[in-house]
Amino acid sequence: MSRRSNLAALALGMAAAVAPHSVFAHGAVMTAEPTQAIRLQARYDTGEPMAQAQVIIYAPNTPSEIWGRGVTDRDGRFDFIPEDIAGRWSVQVRQAGHGVMAHVDISDAAPVLVATPQQDTWAQRMVMIALVAWGGLGTALFALRKKGRSDASA
Amino acid sequence: MFKAVFAASCLLIAPLGAQAGTLAIFASGEELATEGFNAPHLTRDGWTLEFSRILATFDQVTAWQTEPPFMADGPHIDGAALAFGGPFTVDLANPDTQGRVALASLAAPAGHYNALSWALVPDASGYALLLEGVARKDGQDVAFTLRSADRVVHACGEYLGEARKGIVADGRAADLEITLHLDHLFGRADKAAEDAMNLAALGFDAFAAGGVQDISLAGLHIGHVGEGHCHVAAQ
Repeated sequence: MSRRSNLAALALGMAAAVAPHSVFAHGAVMTAEPTQAIRLQARYDTGEPMAQAQVIIYAPNTPSEIWGRGVTDRDGRFDFIPEDIAGRWSVQVRQAGHGVMAHVDISDAAPVLVATPQQDTWAQRMVMIALVAWGGLGTALFALRKKGRSDASA
Repeated sequence: MFKAVFAASCLLIAPLGAQAGTLAIFASGEELATEGFNAPHLTRDGWTLEFSRILATFDQVTAWQTEPPFMADGPHIDGAALAFGGPFTVDLANPDTQGRVALASLAAPAGHYNALSWALVPDASGYALLLEGVARKDGQDVAFTLRSADRVVHACGEYLGEARKGIVADGRAADLEITLHLDHLFGRADKAAEDAMNLAALGFDAFAAGGVQDISLAGLHIGHVGEGHCHVAAQ
């Protein structure tokens, strides 16, 4: 569920989709399509990213059940591809006793980060999440696909 | 994409006709309260701590349904309140088998209680928090009683932990937890000396004389909801 694993899995899917059918030995079939993903970034109020932090995702229709888990990358970033379920997706990020929950409302329009904590006046190490991209992963994969085609024709 | 009706799946506000359930409030000092500070989790200045009692008194305990979710960024919470009252004095060093102490339970309208407010207040003896135990370092045993008369108000966001809490639905019970992080009081030797928590923490060297001593909670930020944060203000 990490950004890298998402990218790798979908890039593989893209490559398979554009490869000649003769490549698929033993009848294996893989399909892929461009998709939209949510990219969040978690950091402390010092600006330090929450690297390798634990992530738990809750879907709108089952808010008390864990929909997915993952780990942020070294920049505190985390990507996930939500199911086709409109409503409030909640993402919890925790590390070493510090935690934060972000809520992203998804509908037909672009997603909206509902609320994010603000640094208060006490000497508390706050953690924050920012919605940094929607659809960016699809764009990145499109670039990867184009690069792959170019490589194949070289 | 996302053709479902957005509002219908937004569960933070209880739908009309939803069944009530119960909501229980617990308090916990986590493993540091029950197991103490032991290597490698010594105090920031290298003491082992063993607690015989950790008495804490909580008052004005209120669970909230908030929309948008309260993010612990100020002292005021807007939303539907469920007041549990208080005061409740509990011993966090002697919890139940799940490591927590029950404060109160109430019938609750369905919905997600995603904020919790409470105050740490002095009890009849005049102290809001009392920690009693033995500290050890370099072959020295120190019996101590540390006590604070501070009155501290907490406005907390959603409980954060391995399980999501506070969702009352279909007549089922849900719970929330007030969590005191004792490492914010004594620091942690397994964290960097320049870690923000260690810089603020009292450590134990200052209390090495033992006996009964008064402490201040100002700036220590020991109150949480699981790993979720609270806005803290002296009252």
